[in-house]
Amino acid sequence: MIDYSAVLFDPVYAELGVSAMLTTTSGVFEITVIDDTRAKMQTSNNVDVRSVGPGAFARIPELTSKGIDRADYISSVLSFNGRMWVVRSYDLRGSPNGEDVGEVRFLLRSDD
Amino acid sequence: MIDVRENILARLVAIVATMPSIKNVYRNNVDLTEDQLPAAAVLDGDEETGDHTDHSQHPSNRPTLATMTPEIIIFKLAPQVGPDISTLRRELIKLVLYDTELNEQIIGTGRFGNGTIRYLGCQTDLGWERSMFGALKANFQFKYPLKPDDLL
Repeated sequence: MIDYSAVLFDPVYAELGVSAMLTTTSGVFEITVIDDTRAKMQTSNNVDVRSVGPGAFARIPELTSKGIDRADYISSVLSFNGRMWVVRSYDLRGSPNGEDVGEVRFLLRSDD
Repeated sequence: MIDVRENILARLVAIVATMPSIKNVYRNNVDLTEDQLPAAAVLDGDEETGDHTDHSQHPSNRPTLATMTPEIIIFKLAPQVGPDISTLRRELIKLVLYDTELNEQIIGTGRFGNGTIRYLGCQTDLGWERSMFGALKANFQFKYPLKPDDLL
């Protein structure tokens, strides 16, 4: 069985990842994330309002190895690339090796 | 020339511009960015006369009553957008229904004429962008005289 962390996620994070600080109720942790902030548009009654949908990918094995549990994700504070965000929700991205060794995509919001 | 419909729409833009929490007001702008919020958009509304049921032989240029239903939409990004939108809704309804120029000079409501202004209700829209996105569309109905002679 291919180790997707070794052959896919870790090399990709080594190239695209940036250092981030994740502050949870358990403490402050330095992790590596991939900035996934995207353009986001909301349409209400034919009026488009353009903004961004902030997000970031992280590797669950890295989080787990640092003692960051899934229950800690929501409401934690994630700072990277000069901005600070609050985790409002998350997507488990899964992996052929199982969801516990896949990625998580943090769905973020402004902290003010 | 007196175009009551246009006068109502122009006045609505002026009224919404007095709301202290609104940063920008637009007429028929359907493409906004987050930096422009909190914002309001006044969208020209449909107009009906109801004259399709009038089978009398009166002259075609006879005055009639027209009804317009423009849309006023308020947009805001905020962590707790619900209370903010509620506040804006209260301000908007009161400003439109109590506006002296609209009631007395443009439409002619109550003892000033046979026009009416009605608040019909609102619809909300929520979503996530950089922060919580909230929109509120307030629906008003304006009934006013349409005099073809005035349009010339």
